[in-house]
Amino acid sequence: MLYSFKVALRSLWFYRWINLLSILSIATGLFIFGVVLFSLYNIERATHRAPEKFTITVFLKDRAKESEIQSLVNRLSDEKLISRVKYISKDEALRELKESLKDAAYVLEGLDENPLFPSIEIKLKEDAFNRRDVDYFIKRLRRLDVVEDVFYGEDIFSSIKSLYRNFRVASILLIVLFSVAIVFVSYSTVKILFFKRAEEIEIYKLLGATKGFIRGPFIFEGTMIGLFGGLIGSAGLLALFDLLKGLGNPEIPLVRMLVLPPEIVAVIPVSGLILGLIGSVIAIGRLRY
Amino acid sequence: MMIQFREVTKIYDNITALRRVSFSIGKGEYVFVTGPSGAGKSTLLKLIYLAEKPDEGSISIAGYSTDTLKERAIPYLRRNIGVVFQDFKLLENKTVYDNIAIALRIRGVGEREIRERVHEALKLVNLRHKADNLPSALSGGEQQRVTIARAIVGEPTVLLADEPTGNLDVDNAAGIMKIFSEIHAKGTTIVFATHNRDLYRNTGKRVIKLDSGNIVYDDME
Repeated sequence: MLYSFKVALRSLWFYRWINLLSILSIATGLFIFGVVLFSLYNIERATHRAPEKFTITVFLKDRAKESEIQSLVNRLSDEKLISRVKYISKDEALRELKESLKDAAYVLEGLDENPLFPSIEIKLKEDAFNRRDVDYFIKRLRRLDVVEDVFYGEDIFSSIKSLYRNFRVASILLIVLFSVAIVFVSYSTVKILFFKRAEEIEIYKLLGATKGFIRGPFIFEGTMIGLFGGLIGSAGLLALFDLLKGLGNPEIPLVRMLVLPPEIVAVIPVSGLILGLIGSVIAIGRLRY
Repeated sequence: MMIQFREVTKIYDNITALRRVSFSIGKGEYVFVTGPSGAGKSTLLKLIYLAEKPDEGSISIAGYSTDTLKERAIPYLRRNIGVVFQDFKLLENKTVYDNIAIALRIRGVGEREIRERVHEALKLVNLRHKADNLPSALSGGEQQRVTIARAIVGEPTVLLADEPTGNLDVDNAAGIMKIFSEIHAKGTTIVFATHNRDLYRNTGKRVIKLDSGNIVYDDME
């Protein structure tokens, strides 16, 4: 085992240009692999937390009694999902509308009666957020007699959801494609090295070397090529993340929200190692005596 | 019996290299296999070290039969057989020391023991001073002696030599023959293939003569 490892290290150095080229190819593949995972992670995170940025507005029926409204406000305040509940009466709604229109407030002049509905504004808690719970909560609200309608930006939300779904499918396809490419790079490198040392291998066989003794150095070499490629890919991803953080204006929330979890940084070299191993095992194939 | 051939036939592309060959070699014997070029000497040796499989018949080596031998057992059987090739088959990018040591590394021997045994083998072939040289820096006779050292360092029970003096001058050939006598004196079975009659004449050793794939003479019979 130790001897195989030493032979693999020597071969890595002896055929350094072939190996370096393979390592850089694998590093590029794994870097893209990492960028896809990083993007997927952040998009998922953003879509998962998106609804918490929306205010749920519950429009109440015009004929809703004051006692019914108060009872609903109290019930909502006790809900574990909700951080803030604010009741806006018809008069308050009209006043807010006038304030928002400012100079154009004259358009509201001449109205005989207030056409606006009383409403309740709800802000969700950020930590205890779960999309399924929110959907269920909205459904429950809609069923109440006192409620006219509920608005919480469903259209935007479902677009984000479908965007995320499509991105996830594309990411999986990309990851599979790059994995196959990395296996192929490892396969062809080990195959070239195997052919270069074909005469040596024949001599080893005649001297009584087992298949394990012959295969060992090649498997170590393929695995190390994958691992080194992965380490460079990880370093590249960390550098990209730092660059994004450094370039980004802290006022831009998108950049501020980006997260690179250590799992993704770690999974790249591990993937390189496994894909390199698979490539080298396929490359050596079945040895015959 | 150390080696036993029973009705062995080997055919390459419709050319019969060996035809229904049968013979036995006992433990500790020193046998010359002779005959003109193309007589089947190298094929016979290749069949012994399992580089080839017989098309008909069966071979037993040190108790293992080719009929029942599993592929995974081949390396272990080869460790009992040292081979001295006419074309040396040395690893050009490794030193003399490493070329010999590899035979022991394959067997999983520790580095300290390897050092001792390689130096002993180098002493036997009188090449201790060349341990750090690459094969390309050695003469033909020296390269052949490295091959012998590699073949015997694993202490095989059988030593096969395929025209080991074929490329050497008379003095170098005499030196090689002396080394083989010393190895044989330690009890190793030797099968020595050569077309050079001078090497076995008056030695009193057994001679098997091949011609066109047939045994035409065996002084055992």
